[in-house]
Amino acid sequence: MIELVKVKKVFNAGNPSEFSALNSINLLIEENQVTVLKGPSGSGKTTLLSIVGCMSRPSAGRVKLQGREITSLPERFLTDIRRKTFGFIFQQPNLIKGISVLDNVMLPAYPLGEKRSHLRDKAMKGLAELNIGNKAASKVEWLSGGEAQRASIVRALINDPHIIIADEPTAHLDTKLSYRFMEIIEKFKAEGKTVIITSHDPLVYESSMVDRVVNLRDGQIEGEPA
Amino acid sequence: MILHPTVIANLLAVYISSGMVLYAVYYGVQILKYWDIESGHELQLVLERKTYLISTLLSYVFGLQLLSLFLFIFTADSLTPLFVGAMCAAGTLNVDAFGYPTLVLKIFNFILAGLWLVLNYADNQGYDYPIIKKKYLLLAFIAPFIILEAILESAYFLGMEADVITSCCGSLFSSERKTGIGSEIASMPALTMMWVFYGAMLCTLASGIFFYLKGLGGYLYAALSLLTFMVSLVSIVSFISLYIYELPTHHCPFCIIMEEYHYLGYLLYILLFGAVVSGIGVAALIPFRQVESLQFMLSGFIRKLALASVILYAAFTAFVTYEIVSSSLVIAYEVVY
Repeated sequence: MIELVKVKKVFNAGNPSEFSALNSINLLIEENQVTVLKGPSGSGKTTLLSIVGCMSRPSAGRVKLQGREITSLPERFLTDIRRKTFGFIFQQPNLIKGISVLDNVMLPAYPLGEKRSHLRDKAMKGLAELNIGNKAASKVEWLSGGEAQRASIVRALINDPHIIIADEPTAHLDTKLSYRFMEIIEKFKAEGKTVIITSHDPLVYESSMVDRVVNLRDGQIEGEPA
Repeated sequence: MILHPTVIANLLAVYISSGMVLYAVYYGVQILKYWDIESGHELQLVLERKTYLISTLLSYVFGLQLLSLFLFIFTADSLTPLFVGAMCAAGTLNVDAFGYPTLVLKIFNFILAGLWLVLNYADNQGYDYPIIKKKYLLLAFIAPFIILEAILESAYFLGMEADVITSCCGSLFSSERKTGIGSEIASMPALTMMWVFYGAMLCTLASGIFFYLKGLGGYLYAALSLLTFMVSLVSIVSFISLYIYELPTHHCPFCIIMEEYHYLGYLLYILLFGAVVSGIGVAALIPFRQVESLQFMLSGFIRKLALASVILYAAFTAFVTYEIVSSSLVIAYEVVY
């Protein structure tokens, strides 16, 4: 369970360009559910997601993960949580060019010191499950958009995270690939993972597998008092 | 004198340390006043971020503080040819009224800075900043001494006059003179002091090993560690120096840092200061052993500190013993003048 208590995020605080991206957000995200953060551009979806995923810190407020307060944690503890708890799927695949798909997928697991042969087997299994096992040795530049997206999903899962965070995952996918993506999300849910997605794609937030849609506008959850 | 490179380096080091410590104290006071880990208030989150900066900054500043003690002694030694009468750092430190007070304060600040680094390391191991207030309380205590050190050191270097005829170490640490702390220590009976030194060292090492193995007697070890540190400093003047110089009347604690003696003094002092800081560090951390976020690592870290201290003291004793055994000097009876 993830709990956000009065979370605020202000950029350029104290400057003329000060911008308040999130205003006192209170939110409870249940385990083993698919939650979609929906809202127009600039509504604070990605900012909220980055705070939940420990990629940035709020300006005020607290975030609790399984009851443990995590916003005050020193950076090296946060790194550990990020590495073991969250799997990130970004709008762009963000794969590293010049190295193979397999190396890209294994990369986030290197700091944990797992045996390379085990890691390789795990990565190959993940690639095979998403039907890109035959691309393992290929360089990422040679992949199509859909293949790159699937490679980034396998990379997000390499450390067997409990929570999957996806930021506008279907933004660069066509309809067929978007449906395929949602099938993968359904599989995650069946495996007991918690999934948090930001999207303004109806194909995502209207999907039957989505348990909860949170509407964001101007840095606030719609329907909640300011 | 101020344009001498080592003087510039000393003054820069002390001004940088003072400036950084003042900056850190400003936020340290805010942390002492407003820190509340339960709060999600904006100020609390700012302080949480700020403490990384302060902690990193002070780690370097206090690291510099540790080095600056040796830089200061090296400077005093390297300025020797500029003063009539000075034969080593002992004479240079005596050219005005601020030399020895600065040295004493630098030794005191060395120990405090070392303790702060020990506390800071332990605090950084906990996920909830378990000893943050104690750490900044210690910083608030240290800060005035660092500032005072900057004032005294500036007064010392800026007040140096080249036409001053100073005293040499033979005069300052003479067992024939009966005035001055150096001479008083020098005139202590060497053989008796040797017994005291080895006795104190034996008790300290035994206590340290006992604490390392059983986890008991940490405060006793810290107290013995401090006592042995002081006994060792006195012993260097009283008898260790005699064996190194192979002269029954030369008690100077500074000549041993010179090239003629293979810079042996630096090694001995580094071992001694390292040993006392890690030894006292044991007592500084014992009260926090039960803190929840530290309980899995702190006991191990304290034992490692004690072990480090024991090893450093043992190495110091081994070097001293080697110098005594290999020396041509034999003190079979007390020299009476």
